[in-house]
Amino acid sequence: MALPLEAEHASANEDFDSPRKIVKFFVVKKAEHEHAQNAELASFEEVMLPHLDAAHNLAKWLVRNEQDAQDVVQEAYLRAFRSFAGFRGSNGRAWLLTIVRNTSYTLLQKNRAVDLTTTFDEEIHAMGHESVSPATILEHAEDADLIKNAMDELPAEFREILALRHQEDLSYKEIADILKIPTGTVMSRLARARGKLKECLTDRISQEK
Amino acid sequence: MNCEETINLIDAYVDGELDPIASQKVERHLRQCTKCEEGYEAHTAMTQAISRGAPYYKAPTELRERIRSSLRDAIDMNAHSGSVRENQLLARRTQPERRNVFSDLPWNWLGLAAAVILTAAIVSTLLPRMLAPSSDQFLATQLIASHVRSLMADHLTDVASSDQHTVKPWLDVKLDFAAPVVDLSSQGFPLIGGRLDYLDNRPVAALVYQRRKHFINLFVWPVESETTRATKAVSRQGYHLLHWVDSDFNYWAVSDVSSSDLQAFREQFQGQLGPH
Repeated sequence: MALPLEAEHASANEDFDSPRKIVKFFVVKKAEHEHAQNAELASFEEVMLPHLDAAHNLAKWLVRNEQDAQDVVQEAYLRAFRSFAGFRGSNGRAWLLTIVRNTSYTLLQKNRAVDLTTTFDEEIHAMGHESVSPATILEHAEDADLIKNAMDELPAEFREILALRHQEDLSYKEIADILKIPTGTVMSRLARARGKLKECLTDRISQEK
Repeated sequence: MNCEETINLIDAYVDGELDPIASQKVERHLRQCTKCEEGYEAHTAMTQAISRGAPYYKAPTELRERIRSSLRDAIDMNAHSGSVRENQLLARRTQPERRNVFSDLPWNWLGLAAAVILTAAIVSTLLPRMLAPSSDQFLATQLIASHVRSLMADHLTDVASSDQHTVKPWLDVKLDFAAPVVDLSSQGFPLIGGRLDYLDNRPVAALVYQRRKHFINLFVWPVESETTRATKAVSRQGYHLLHWVDSDFNYWAVSDVSSSDLQAFREQFQGQLGPH
């Protein structure tokens, strides 16, 4: 029993200033660590913050509420930062929008939104109105409220695909990557989204008259 | 190119997503056909209306600052607490008040709450499992009913064609997924056509194949997250059902042909689809 005690004693004597060394070691390590983290944060912000408007726009169309949209975007940026080390792609906007979309859906599901899929009453919307001419639609093209309200009526999957295509000008391929669906489905879903939007617009225009 | 094909491709054409050859074909048709030309104009008007009219929600300036400071907070928190950062990050944003409430509560309340949550968790995980087999049975009944109805009401196909390149685009336009369509004429299962159907609470593609004098309905819809990937064979009321799943789709083949014929059909179908 005496032997270990002696050994401990001896080593403490030999390295009299070791606690200071240890502290110094950790201070240096911590500084290095912080330096690396700051560099990572700087490069993250440089790549991702330019897409803040796109992120906010998509979130706003999906959750349809300014406060929720901002929360979603903030949460999405935190999630993105956490997995930024794994981001190797060149398309930062598409990558960020994927995360924004997932975060939005988490919120929509939490709020038990019923419009996650196309549970849209096609029958009611498909009948009872004559179609309006292209000229009439173009006349109303500047009416932001009309188009916004008609778009907000659509199911989430239509709102997001219209925003991605018409506002972000993404290609079918990029949209397919974000929505995790085949390119053929992007085409057919866009067609259905535009068809539905046209019906909603037609309803609203004929009600105005 | 005919009107139907043109209408199917018009969205991709307006979006500039068609290859040059298909694009030229559409153009040529539009020049000849006033009806499609009108449709094209309506489409262009719609796309312009959305692009011009729909408001673009720019981020307010304070959001940028909020995000930047929350990122710095996340780093600081990480520096202080090391490995448990993920949970803390989520907790920090959503439940700071709740944490204070919890620390004020007496422990027996926490115990009661834990018991309630545990019970709820057990019930919510076990109940669906207990109900699952019967939902499968229900689906089988639906499938047979749908098969029988398709033969009885003279409504076997919505689009009658032995050409997979006619059936597939027809279905693609009507469904939110692109169902795989292959012709198996040379394998003894000629394609008759396709139909829309409604099963398992969603629209599905029904592909109709023939085997001598018998018909096979192949129902296809996308795989949802937690479907089991096992192949299943069921026989009921003289009908055989065969279920399989690949990386993208659920398949249910229903027919009165023998179950070995149905197995052969599945092998040929998967063979034609190529490696998945």
